[in-house]
Amino acid sequence: MSNSHNDTIPLHPSNSQSDIDEIRSLIDDSVHSGPAVVLPARHPATTPPPSSSPFISSNIPPPPPVSSSSSLQKLQSVPAAPPPPPPVGNSSSIVANGFGPPPNTLTEPVLDTVKRDLWRIVSNLKLVVFPNPFREDPGKALRDWDLWGPFFFIVFLGVALSWSASVKKSQVFAVAFALLAAGAVILTLNVLLLGGHIIFFQSLSLLGYCLFPLDVGALICMLKDNVVAKVIIVCLALAWSSWAAYPFMSSAVNPNRKALALYPVLLMYLSVGFLIIAID
Amino acid sequence: MDESSYWNRPTSHLLGSVPAVVNEESEASYGRRGGGGRGYQTLGPPTEGFDQQSQNNWKGVFSISSYTQYFDVDTDVVVNRLISSFYPAGGDFFNKIGANPDLYGLIWITTTLVFMLAAFGNCATYLIQKRTDRTTSWSFDVGYVNAAACGIYGYSLVVPVAFYFLLRYLGSNASLVRFLCMWGYSLSIFIPTAFLLLIPVEILRWIIILIAGTASSCFVTLNLTSYIGGSNDLRMMMIAAFLLQMALAIFIKAWFFP
Repeated sequence: MSNSHNDTIPLHPSNSQSDIDEIRSLIDDSVHSGPAVVLPARHPATTPPPSSSPFISSNIPPPPPVSSSSSLQKLQSVPAAPPPPPPVGNSSSIVANGFGPPPNTLTEPVLDTVKRDLWRIVSNLKLVVFPNPFREDPGKALRDWDLWGPFFFIVFLGVALSWSASVKKSQVFAVAFALLAAGAVILTLNVLLLGGHIIFFQSLSLLGYCLFPLDVGALICMLKDNVVAKVIIVCLALAWSSWAAYPFMSSAVNPNRKALALYPVLLMYLSVGFLIIAID
Repeated sequence: MDESSYWNRPTSHLLGSVPAVVNEESEASYGRRGGGGRGYQTLGPPTEGFDQQSQNNWKGVFSISSYTQYFDVDTDVVVNRLISSFYPAGGDFFNKIGANPDLYGLIWITTTLVFMLAAFGNCATYLIQKRTDRTTSWSFDVGYVNAAACGIYGYSLVVPVAFYFLLRYLGSNASLVRFLCMWGYSLSIFIPTAFLLLIPVEILRWIIILIAGTASSCFVTLNLTSYIGGSNDLRMMMIAAFLLQMALAIFIKAWFFP
């Protein structure tokens, strides 16, 4: 069926039309939606709203049904290639729906993606760093982990330190970045090796988010240059970071080994704090 | 596709595995992400995992659960070993480790030492310069971090491995993990030493570092002797261990606290 039109070559050697139908029917079975979607893809206007199908973009106006087959081959041949299971945690609405219809994230405007990621960073930050009722239950908080937030915070801290340094700026950035990135990985491995129960990337994400107070401290120290003020600010930021990281780390291991798991976290934040004070 | 099997798929054998290097469990990693919603709850006893590990030796190198045996210590055990490393007199460290050598001490003592040397080295250099020349201003040399990391990590990894291979070659029994553990704990005395070396009096600094170096070297030598058995032809090894530890102490003083 798809090979009858010579203008496109589907990416799958097999029949891409039947693949799409099968996948769509599986998706829609799980949502228990109406039978309208099981129609062949020539009638995109009848597919249920909103953004239920990743294969037909909602931004592109639905092509006229008669000559639709060739253009639809083109549209479907490209999105048919990536296999469907939707990336978990792509937006909070997916997590709420469980295995619901995947949103139209491949073809949405870039601004939407950026806004959604920024919103996720803010909500994760609120969960981890600021007092909120979910902090006592580590399973609830940071369910929707992401690595963009930690990345921004680490890079910002490296840039802030490198900016305040007067000599060897690139080396300062390298040391700060390596310390934080490798430190997060090593701390997670430490908990795992001590027999604790955490999820690897969730812990990386958490340790990255707990850098936010130190980022704020570094920013303030960039502006004020008095040593005593720097020491006070960094001590406060350090205390805040440690308070943020404490419940997650301590609940992940056996209570006999709590100090063994927490000490490296304190060491890492202490060394970063020292770098903030010492770099002039 | 059967949805219920997706979430009920057994993931307990993945406990402790780093996801990126697990090969055939890639599709089960989706289940683990769903398990991320459960957060830090236990996923059940990892009995299946050990069966899998014993079948395939190569996979054991990259899986965390094969290394947890070296970290099977509690807080009080680590503190106990740490305190016993401050007293060079008794040669019974290997008895104390017994069947449970740990690499936790090695890793975190060396890391703490790197940080201390970098931080206090800078402070001490500034203080000494301030004494001689009132107008110097504070400058933080990041090169100290690099030098400390290379020096301390290099020493604590290369020396035990070298001793292990040499002693094996010479026929006596040696255990790599126990050597790493012992050398790691022997460095712990340099941590308060680094703090004391802040005092900007040169003579006092030399006295402090010599005392600390001697204590650490005696610790290493006595324990090594009691472990190997003090036969005469291995005496060179003991002297070499003593001298290497002293060399490390001198290096610390000369490079970081000039």
